[in-house]
Amino acid sequence: MIDRPLGSERGTSFEPVITAENLRHTYDHRHFALDGVSFTVRRGEVFGLLGRNGAGKSTLIKAMTTLIRPTSGTLRVLGLDVAHEGQKIRERIGVVQQAESFDFTTVQKNFDVYGMLWGIPRAERVRRRETLIAKFGLTDSRKRRAFDLSGGQKRRVQVAREFMHDMDVLFLDEPTVGLDVIMRRTLLNSIREEVRRGLTVVFTTHNLEEADYLCDRAAVIDEGKILQLDSIENLKRLYGGKKTIDLTVANGDASRFYAALIERLGTGSTVTVQAESAVVLTDDPKEALSRIAELSQTLGVQLEWLNVRQNTLEDVFLRSVRHGGEDHGAP
Amino acid sequence: MRTTALPNLFRLVYRNLLVNTDPGSLLILVGLPGLYLVFFGYGFQSISSAGGGTNYLAYLTPGIMSFQVVMAGTVGGGILWSDRRWGMLSQLLMGPFTRLQYLMGIMLTALLFGLGGSAIMLGVAYALLGSVPLQPVTLAIIFGTIVVGSLFFGGLLLFLAAVVKSNNAYNSIQILLLFVVNFASTVFYPLSSGLPLVLKVLFYVNPLTYVADAVRGAYSSSLTLTDLYQLVVLFVEMVVILFFAVRAYLRSDVSYE
Repeated sequence: MIDRPLGSERGTSFEPVITAENLRHTYDHRHFALDGVSFTVRRGEVFGLLGRNGAGKSTLIKAMTTLIRPTSGTLRVLGLDVAHEGQKIRERIGVVQQAESFDFTTVQKNFDVYGMLWGIPRAERVRRRETLIAKFGLTDSRKRRAFDLSGGQKRRVQVAREFMHDMDVLFLDEPTVGLDVIMRRTLLNSIREEVRRGLTVVFTTHNLEEADYLCDRAAVIDEGKILQLDSIENLKRLYGGKKTIDLTVANGDASRFYAALIERLGTGSTVTVQAESAVVLTDDPKEALSRIAELSQTLGVQLEWLNVRQNTLEDVFLRSVRHGGEDHGAP
Repeated sequence: MRTTALPNLFRLVYRNLLVNTDPGSLLILVGLPGLYLVFFGYGFQSISSAGGGTNYLAYLTPGIMSFQVVMAGTVGGGILWSDRRWGMLSQLLMGPFTRLQYLMGIMLTALLFGLGGSAIMLGVAYALLGSVPLQPVTLAIIFGTIVVGSLFFGGLLLFLAAVVKSNNAYNSIQILLLFVVNFASTVFYPLSSGLPLVLKVLFYVNPLTYVADAVRGAYSSSLTLTDLYQLVVLFVEMVVILFFAVRAYLRSDVSYE
């Protein structure tokens, strides 16, 4: 997207760009938004942070971008201590926040002012602005106030604007929220392009397909703790050989049905129940299906939806984050 | 990539001027005091003349120049509020700036508004009166006082913006504060001996009175020792309020969720 001579020769390496050790952070001295988090992000990789709302992803981003100082533990970004070398870190990172952030002016002026703030010379600012406005499909809305745009357009402006300046690490906090499928893919591809030039990306998302598409490694985070951390392939392989059965009860006593199902299925299966629906992760889908059929007849329960499929990253996520529903059985 | 040589602080000030000064806001910030000068200046002239008094427009001019320090204060508080509201505060603080640079950027912007507004009022007065004092010493005292006053009110409104968490509450407090500060001061009229004690006290403790008295004293070449004492008090108050403003701002949460 942007010519970055310094970054063009870099590639993925094992050199750590971010290291966190036993990171803890509390806002109220009672609950920990981050509770003993340790991880490393390598140069040139896309590192995903997966988790539901309030899991601690944004707090972690805030800590890495020096917006908050962790209560305890050590955190280094680009080899610099977050607690004492904040400004040096901030000069080398880019951040796309989860919330909207614009100057109260036109799209074009937002790009100009942001570039100026980052000290980009005028001629280069104009070149980058035009490239980005075209690339992110903002030509028609360039004269409109950023706050008058639709949610998706605003998001595009916010993400595109961040590429006005050079950086070594880009933090993206839910960057694709509100984007349509095409623009989402454009954005993800743009990030991939930058990564090929040596950019390191830390990326939070709810969307596991995106993480699957973009991330090299990912951490599943919940209640301030990292539950899983591995390459995307390994995370999916963690439950390899198993299949997932999605089912939804239409009529009858769903809770009794699911309780019985948990009892009947062997140790090779797990059941995650959420309201009327459940996700069964199993070694033996044939056996599980016959149990489901048998139980639905015995208990007079009608099924609205039944689907057998391969495991996805979403299953890994659901398995890891147990608190969203009841989770029973062995993995 | 080569970057512009402009230091961080000036980039922030330039940005504040670019994005926080749309024509409508400028019109209110500078036009409103100008309107006061024209309408009050001519409107109350008749009363003043009937009483055999002096030229009210000439009396009001230094008052309205002083009034600009309050407008400068609202600029300071307003920038912090709008940046927080539109998400730019956290965005900037995750950029290449320190919190202190951001704060100084706001204060410097407020100061520019105070000085610029006062200079414009002087120009308006010149157009209306045909002459205004332009001696270097007089201008130095006037604009020196405007600097201290702008920093005081910039600090005060910044403190408010840092501690008040609701936009509506901030606006309400600001409106009330501006009313009391403006009208319980010597901006529009002199301190009368017939005032109730409470109002007298309000006049005496109001920093805008100190600004208006010093500017008026310099403007009319009648600066007294009391005016100078008041200036010293104003300076001390400015230091104190800036201390609390910086502290409140540095401790305030920079929320972006």
